[in-house]
Amino acid sequence: MNTDTADKNGCLLKVEDLKTYFPIRKGLLRRSVGYIKAVDGVSFKIENAATFGLVGESGCGKTTLARSILRLIPATSGRITFDGADLLAADPSQLRRFRSEISMIFQDPFGSLNPRMTIGDIVGEPLKVHRRISTAELTERVCQILSKVGLSPDSVNRYPHEFSGGQRQRIGIARALILQPKLIICDEPVSALDVSIQSQILNLLKDLQQEFSLTYLFIAHNLAVVQFSCDNVAVMYMGRIVEQAPVAELYNNTLHPYTAALMAAIPKIQTSKQTRKHTPTGEVPSLLNPPLGCPFNPRCTFAAGPCFTDIPPLKPVLGKPEHLLACWHR
Amino acid sequence: MSDNGTLLSVENLSTHFFTQQGVVRAVQDVSFSVKSGRTFALVGESGCGKSVTALSLMRLVPYPPGKIVSGKITFEGRNLLGLSERRMRAIRGNRIAMIFQEPMTSLNPVFTVGNQIVEAIRLHQHKSRSRAWDLAEQMLHEVRIPDPAHRISEYPHQMSGGMRQRVMIAMAVSCKPALLICDEPTTALDVTIQAQILDLLAELQKQNQMSILLITHDLGIVAERADDVAVMYASKIAELADCRSLFLQPLHPYTQGLLKSVPQLGFTGKRLNTISGIVPEPLHFPSGCKFHPRCPIGCNDKRCQTIEPELRRVKDGRAVACWYAPGYERSDDIKV
Amino acid sequence: MKAPKGVSLWRDGMRRLFHRRLAVVCLGIIVIYFLLVAFIYVVELFNWRIGPTLWAEPTGPSYQPPGSENIFGTDIFGLSVLRKTLYGAKISITVALFASIISIAIGVPLGAIAGYFRGIVDDVIVWLYSTLSSIPYILLILAFAVVLRDKTIAGQKLTGITSVYLAIGLTGWVGICRLIRGEVIKHKEHEYVLAAKSYGCTNKRIIFRHLLPNVFHIVIIVFSLRFVSFIHAEIILSFLGLGEADRPSWGAMINDARIELARGVWWQMVAATVAVFFISLALNIFGDALRDSLDPKLKVQ
Repeated sequence: MNTDTADKNGCLLKVEDLKTYFPIRKGLLRRSVGYIKAVDGVSFKIENAATFGLVGESGCGKTTLARSILRLIPATSGRITFDGADLLAADPSQLRRFRSEISMIFQDPFGSLNPRMTIGDIVGEPLKVHRRISTAELTERVCQILSKVGLSPDSVNRYPHEFSGGQRQRIGIARALILQPKLIICDEPVSALDVSIQSQILNLLKDLQQEFSLTYLFIAHNLAVVQFSCDNVAVMYMGRIVEQAPVAELYNNTLHPYTAALMAAIPKIQTSKQTRKHTPTGEVPSLLNPPLGCPFNPRCTFAAGPCFTDIPPLKPVLGKPEHLLACWHR
Repeated sequence: MSDNGTLLSVENLSTHFFTQQGVVRAVQDVSFSVKSGRTFALVGESGCGKSVTALSLMRLVPYPPGKIVSGKITFEGRNLLGLSERRMRAIRGNRIAMIFQEPMTSLNPVFTVGNQIVEAIRLHQHKSRSRAWDLAEQMLHEVRIPDPAHRISEYPHQMSGGMRQRVMIAMAVSCKPALLICDEPTTALDVTIQAQILDLLAELQKQNQMSILLITHDLGIVAERADDVAVMYASKIAELADCRSLFLQPLHPYTQGLLKSVPQLGFTGKRLNTISGIVPEPLHFPSGCKFHPRCPIGCNDKRCQTIEPELRRVKDGRAVACWYAPGYERSDDIKV
Repeated sequence: MKAPKGVSLWRDGMRRLFHRRLAVVCLGIIVIYFLLVAFIYVVELFNWRIGPTLWAEPTGPSYQPPGSENIFGTDIFGLSVLRKTLYGAKISITVALFASIISIAIGVPLGAIAGYFRGIVDDVIVWLYSTLSSIPYILLILAFAVVLRDKTIAGQKLTGITSVYLAIGLTGWVGICRLIRGEVIKHKEHEYVLAAKSYGCTNKRIIFRHLLPNVFHIVIIVFSLRFVSFIHAEIILSFLGLGEADRPSWGAMINDARIELARGVWWQMVAATVAVFFISLALNIFGDALRDSLDPKLKVQ
């Protein structure tokens, strides 16, 4: 389906120093008194047919980042290159074309489907919006896609509320697939699903990727899910990437204190009662009042000296160019 | 309450909802017991009936359309289902307390945090207003909220999710209840905050000699924090065991399937194990064993398809409801 | 296509609605009123030559009390109160219907645009309806009615009736505009709207295909509740003498009663009041039942 790419490097999406700030307005004249730096200088690349994971807790900016890429939220500055073309500079008709090549799977299987449309209409609407297509052909495409995601084509006339959470997520995936996109942004695709359904959906996503040579930007907060699904992972905290590496390297050689804290905090089945190490104290600081220096310093056990004054840049680790780290201590 | 004496004993609890579309049997014939000072986890996926079970314990099931149709709940020697509403109110918040999943909707947005804790205190304890406020501030300190003297006058919307959950915990343990029911207390929280809240609960448990009934869908939390576990599926208990044994050797195919399919750190396979099919809807439960359509053994077995296995004690305090679990057929002991 | 049809939220709501006996009874009352009005139109159509005189023929002596000859009695001119009441129903319901249509036609699009686009468009529309709703309702309608009374539109002279429902419609859109605006603002934040944007839906498509169907149940509910207030508005206008001067309406009947009551003539007043009362009650109860049935959040899940 999408095996070729315009860019010489095989890189489908390239994000450079993306910043999305939300102005805080106060007073009668609604003057801007400051900014919420939801995304504060993020850069990464996604290779063709690869899965790039973005991990972080609430408020880290991963959802804002995903929406900025699709220009659902206006980015403040930076550059996004998709398939060789500049996304942020695109005019409305180019943007429309991009929106047929990048699609999104949403987190909430209940809120992401219009309750008053049949699922045939829901899945088929992207096709209707972008192409002139006969009803018969549309129905055929819809039925085809529904079978691909494991739903019976008989369900075309039924409504979302007649399906379970896992099935609705499949409908959302079908909708994302129907335009044969090059890139799919998966925004927490399994977080709202039951445990026994999560594995079904994760397997499905992998199978679809293989069959259609899809590229995924996979956003999640569950590190175990990310480990299974992704090739490269970036960890975000308060709008910045603090660590990034190929998945095996990140999990075997965790360097950033926040990443280590995330890993330690995940409840694990294997070891039953375990004394906790590295549980970070405190909460994520408010974006309205970020700490000076490294954003993690209030909660970091290693914080000292430059951590309180300067933000560490994201740099490759010595000897491992693929592993990037933003920390003064390593 | 002697150490490891039984604090709460639930026998054959059934709660049904009478709706226009039919009778929803949300909880059927559920039996388990919680020992004092220990943590009992009720684990299952959405719709299995675990939250309804908790609400039934507190007799908070909304009357139309829900009703506890049978069973016995013995708490501190008394049958809760036989108590008058007045007596029940004296127990709620006082001897049994509950915290919920969504702290934003469980706290009243128009009252300060301090007000709400004080209200909880004064409902059950004879304290003057000023002493109640002092106690409230002390509770905030106990739940590790920084700067409690100032935070006590804040409103819920001024606090983060983790803080609000701590406030809920403060309200719940202010009267030093014997049993704390936690309904998915950390599901809405970030993973790092989750760990803090669970640590806090463990600390409070030790300090107050409190039992905890933990309701969750996260097997990892159960493995790390619970002493005893009951796995629920489609309104019934599938398996009951102490935590270690359950994870070392799960007996019920559903438990086995769950444990195999949860994505875990360190998994290196190309595909995850799954349980095929979907969770059945309460109005359309399958005949026989409710799990049989998804069970590798039961989908082909006549007995599993027609006769529902009851929960039976099998060995060493374990119970399971499966025809093919080891020790099941020999046992005729109905677990209480 | 052999794929089975699903149960939409509409069908589900309707099903729940018809389970409520009271709602069905009220719907029956409403239907009876509408059928009566339709019947009168049909009769008028067939008797177009003698048309309006259906009620204008005296059927008894002046001020005859209700009895075997005239069930509701007669008025000062000997005209049957029964016929006047029926004809009054035609006027009230016709006016309320047209006024409702006008107010929906103005209020829904304005509300949707304000709620969806926000910003300066929203500010303007909100300013507009805030201003309108700050003026006392009666004065506003009076002003419109008086101004429109003797004007012509497209060469047609505006009759009293037309000016009445224009007046009511042009002032009555405020409530529905506010409601729709609020609902659109709420629904705009749902993920399915975001999803629609993400695969390239135009704003127009999002408003018509995604948002309006999800807020339309509000329109239906408000329609039935506002209908009542439009009937009342018409009555007030007729009472005050603005409206058709030479045709009977409930408002005029009540107006007459001011003098008549002193003379012990109560039957015109009672007939008009009872007629209004039942249709208002039926519409109110039905409107409530509609809201309970159609609100997706109140589904017992």
